[in-house]
Amino acid sequence: MIKKLTLYIVLTMMVFGVGQAFAEEVKGTAEKPFVEITSYHKDTDVSKVGINDNLWSGVASYRQPLEKQYLVVPKPVEVGVKELVVQSINDGKYIAFRLVWKDATENSSIKVTGFSDAAAIEFPVKTDPLPQYIMGQTDMPVHILYWRAWRSKDTKDGFQTIDTAYPNLTSDMYTFDYKVKGKGTEKTQEEKDMFIPGKAAVNPRSVPHKQIIEELNAEGPGTLKTKNVENTTGESHWSDGTWTLVIRRPLKVDDAVSAQLVVGKKTPIAFAVWEGERKESAGRKAVSPSWAEVLVQ
Amino acid sequence: MQMRKVYNWQLGRNASYVYPQNRPKKQWAMVFDLNKCIACQTCSLACKTTWTSGRGQEYMYWNNVETKPYGGYPTAWDMGILSKLGMQDWDGNKYAGRTLFEAAEKDEKILQHIAAEEDWAHPNIGEDEITGMVGKGDYITMPHKIWMFYLPRTCAHCTYPACLSACPRKAIYKRPEDGIVLVDQSRCRGYRECVRACPYKKPMFNAETRISEKCIGCYPKIEQGLMTQCITNCIGRIRLGGFVNTPDKAVKENPIDYLVHIRKLALPLYPQFGTEPNLFYIPPIHVPTTYLKQMFGPQAENAVKTYLEIRNDMTLKGLLVLFGSMERIISSFRVDGKTAAGFDEKGNEIVKVPVTEPTFIREFYDAKLQAYRHNTP
Repeated sequence: MIKKLTLYIVLTMMVFGVGQAFAEEVKGTAEKPFVEITSYHKDTDVSKVGINDNLWSGVASYRQPLEKQYLVVPKPVEVGVKELVVQSINDGKYIAFRLVWKDATENSSIKVTGFSDAAAIEFPVKTDPLPQYIMGQTDMPVHILYWRAWRSKDTKDGFQTIDTAYPNLTSDMYTFDYKVKGKGTEKTQEEKDMFIPGKAAVNPRSVPHKQIIEELNAEGPGTLKTKNVENTTGESHWSDGTWTLVIRRPLKVDDAVSAQLVVGKKTPIAFAVWEGERKESAGRKAVSPSWAEVLVQ
Repeated sequence: MQMRKVYNWQLGRNASYVYPQNRPKKQWAMVFDLNKCIACQTCSLACKTTWTSGRGQEYMYWNNVETKPYGGYPTAWDMGILSKLGMQDWDGNKYAGRTLFEAAEKDEKILQHIAAEEDWAHPNIGEDEITGMVGKGDYITMPHKIWMFYLPRTCAHCTYPACLSACPRKAIYKRPEDGIVLVDQSRCRGYRECVRACPYKKPMFNAETRISEKCIGCYPKIEQGLMTQCITNCIGRIRLGGFVNTPDKAVKENPIDYLVHIRKLALPLYPQFGTEPNLFYIPPIHVPTTYLKQMFGPQAENAVKTYLEIRNDMTLKGLLVLFGSMERIISSFRVDGKTAAGFDEKGNEIVKVPVTEPTFIREFYDAKLQAYRHNTP
């Protein structure tokens, strides 16, 4: 199956003309799924670039069409986000991506049946051979920078809990987490967490993080694994039906399974967006139709 | 989606599943006598205080008891999926309809009913509601004209679990040693494909930890040869835990096999879903057959007949008395004359009870205490 897919992707790339730049001012259109993005060199500290800094207005935007994930069952019948606008800058040490997309609803608060808005960019760890672009392949890992609106809200307003999600909820008692004080009621956080399975298991989803971007590796669908590094920083903002997300990271990092970006070279890049309101999650997502490319100027 | 063919004995035929057939060495199972359940919720509370007392688990009931036909947790879980599946047929004891895997929509693994936020907020909705108004002049018939019954439920630790098949990252696994289905709390990423897929709606999302959880079959107790908390705490003694074999390998001394396969008294819950659930119910005798057949399959009517004859059936009578008589799992049982006995895996006797409790009649007037005896509740 993988061979077939690789062939399909190669054919797709031939059709769309890998490596041939689109010489357009408004770069990329919905008719051209293969997008070449230029990361422009700026004499500024890109590691600290803000989400709405003026310099972004002078940076070319690229339209990245998105489509329904089509490789792995379950496949979405429809997706909520069909286009991303991408900008990128670098200072020779750091690179930043600014993603903007339309989403009428902000889904950043945890709920039992709620899903988070989310977005991700993906790089192959090695480009020769180039892995399958939806989640990579065995021994051909991809490096994913994953953002979740839930995690952004956690970082901004404090880690969301059942009390923030359901302020009117009452519970008589939590084991080891008593409302009263007195002999035998003083327990450590670790002891309290024993009764909260995800926390006891230190699941990356269940515990607070400094950064809003989670870094992961994958070697095929279903193999996603959180990296124990947080080299990537980010900033997100939703207003008037639009999400804006900035992702910043060093071009080079000391890690064998992280993407290494080189000035003057092109690197394949892919995108995914999840619309929480539509309960999009995992493979129910909008993806770029193929690897795109980013030229680090 | 390429589906595999697996043998589902509850349907009497091969059926579609996402993965190839891979039965565990032993299969966790539970039998319930619905004629005895009073919805006291002691099982629910035993489970809750043992396993789901933490933050994010407030409305999480791995074990619940709902009133049928209108009750359900989450609300209308069964009506939701049954109406999606539509009317299906049985050809005798062979299922002639489509299972949920066979009825999957394009690009999906299984037909799904998705419970809404408020559906998870009313664990005891519809409690004690009967099917309709009792009319003037109505009298009790068998089955009853107006009826209700209580349905206690846990995860069915299905042979072909929908949750396991739906998980995109194989965070759910079925233990080969006892067939218990678990969500790996380190691996789960909270996609909730399992919550969507399980027709019984037993995987649940913990908003605090942002990952899914489900009934763990009390595996730490099972590993010690003990029955689950919901079984051993049942004050009505309506439950029996153990291991079920496939019908071709049924052992008549195994109490679960005897009830499920030999006597066909205990029937699977919604076998037509196609997951081969391992919760088996002795149907309530007062409920109309059509409803029982929809819920427990075509053998429901015969199971009711068998139940009505138990008074003349020493073996079944003895086995039902063993329900709730001990905490250890009974590997085999024997009913001898007036006693029923249970044995562990090594054949050691672990319980012995009289099939009929002796009756004592006490005089109305107690001369020693110079007091009249009353029937006090």
